[in-house]
Amino acid sequence: MMDALSLLLWPLLACIAIAGIHAYLGFHVVERGVIFVDLALAQVAALGATIGFLLGYDLHDPMAGWLSMGAVVVGAALIALLKAEKRRIPQEAFIGIVYAVAAATAILIVDRTPEGAEHIKFMFVGNLLAASPEEVARLAALYLGIGIIHFVWRRPFFAISHGTTEGMSKGRVRLWDFLFYLTFGLVVTQSVAVAGVLLVFSYLIVPSVVGMLVADTAPARLAVGWAVGVLVSVAGMLASYKFDFPTGATVVATFGLALLLALGYRGAVRRA
Amino acid sequence: MMRRFGGLFRFAGAVILAVAEVGTAHAGGRLHVVTTTQDLASIAMEIGGDRIAVETLAKGYQDPHFVDAKPSYLLKLRKADLFIQVGRELEVGWAPGLINNARNKHIQPGASGFLDASTNVNILEVGGRVGREQGDVHPLGNPHYWLNPENGIAMAANIRDALSRLAPTDASYFQERYTAFEGRLRAKIGEWKKSAAAMGLTGMKVVTYHRSWPYFAEAFGLEVVDYVEPRPGVPPAPRHVQELTAAMKAQRVGLLIVEPYFDPKLSQQIARNAGVPMLVLPPSVGAAPAATDYIRLFDTQLDLIRRALAGGKP
Repeated sequence: MMDALSLLLWPLLACIAIAGIHAYLGFHVVERGVIFVDLALAQVAALGATIGFLLGYDLHDPMAGWLSMGAVVVGAALIALLKAEKRRIPQEAFIGIVYAVAAATAILIVDRTPEGAEHIKFMFVGNLLAASPEEVARLAALYLGIGIIHFVWRRPFFAISHGTTEGMSKGRVRLWDFLFYLTFGLVVTQSVAVAGVLLVFSYLIVPSVVGMLVADTAPARLAVGWAVGVLVSVAGMLASYKFDFPTGATVVATFGLALLLALGYRGAVRRA
Repeated sequence: MMRRFGGLFRFAGAVILAVAEVGTAHAGGRLHVVTTTQDLASIAMEIGGDRIAVETLAKGYQDPHFVDAKPSYLLKLRKADLFIQVGRELEVGWAPGLINNARNKHIQPGASGFLDASTNVNILEVGGRVGREQGDVHPLGNPHYWLNPENGIAMAANIRDALSRLAPTDASYFQERYTAFEGRLRAKIGEWKKSAAAMGLTGMKVVTYHRSWPYFAEAFGLEVVDYVEPRPGVPPAPRHVQELTAAMKAQRVGLLIVEPYFDPKLSQQIARNAGVPMLVLPPSVGAAPAATDYIRLFDTQLDLIRRALAGGKP
């Protein structure tokens, strides 16, 4: 009966890898107040793949990958540039617009392609239980590489997220912002293809929100976020197995439960 | 940190084992067959009888293009002796990864326990262009072939061959059951064709939502003249709706057919404006309560069509 365990091992490892990088990136995303930037960039990446479709490249063609990566570069630049207006207009408004326009443009393009939108939908659904060892290794390598970049240059990344950019020129802030959204976009598009939009959004936001609820310093918040991400992955996978629910949706619901527990904990601590 | 992870894994493993032990009762000596759809499961049961245990992944009411995988799918595939898929890329979005992750070498593509039921079936729209304007390209053809009951015979023969290969000692048993099923199905096909002709389906022009019905149309003489959804997954443009409504009136379209997993609102509106009855037709076994097996699927469909054409009267 080691079978059952070994079958769920790779999906679980995929979840834990995703938790590792997303709990960290989520910290930045929540600090910057750009909650839906992952949806926007995933949609932009899908738009890139859709353009590939129009040019006759299949979703699995390497060219489609390059096109969606190119689209992410453009999307990251756009989001970094649009920040300039932040004082008057919240950045989240622009992010929402990028999402909607990218999604709508993809529909317009698909209308002119022979094959229709079904294949594009696969980019957002994800199929966690189908995560193969090769896929998990690829994700882990990418996350590790981007994690190292973020560790080495943690100062500018955190300075922007905390809003303490006094010593930096405007151009440099923009450059670091672009780099942040670029690395973020690369991570998110890969994660979404494996785990789906809903799950990736949860891995990004919930651990960091729970961290904020129960801890005060940045390192403590990050540690709590990672712990929550890993625990929820394990608990969600087990619940999905025990009750035979679709796995992605079960993990998302478990994240909701974790947040409720954190809220209860905070309430109890306040009263005490 | 590593030690803590190790502990988590051991804990996870222990719970998974405890749960799994309860869940599996081995079917003594019977071949385990796992199918992607209930249509395939129904035909497999007809052929395999009590020598096989059949399980299905997607339920008939689910869109077989998009299926949310559950852990039990992996366990079913793990212990399967035979995996049967509709093929023609119907399940391409979810099944290949699951088969790969179930790590059961018997059911990998190319192995003797992997069956694509579309082999030797006369597939429509292969690599060609259909539709009137830009056309719709299906490199491997339209995958909804089970909706022509004649194809059910080829599917049954494929399943018989696969089962006989895996359990050669039961080959004559499978052959017997195949012959019985073929006879019953052929008799029913005669009946269905007669009743289809009697309710005026021969040559009737119909419009469908998705491109699921060319085989059904082929079987009963319907002519699919257009689709509500111009491209799979693309919502129709206002002009398409307008032109479609006008064309349905002009061409005297008799029926608008919608699959149960699409929102019927727009189709209802089009049907009302065109003065054409609209019908939600179950495309698979399990998609309607009465469609409990492959033969009853067609009984149910033709009964629903008869009622829709009679204006809702029984």
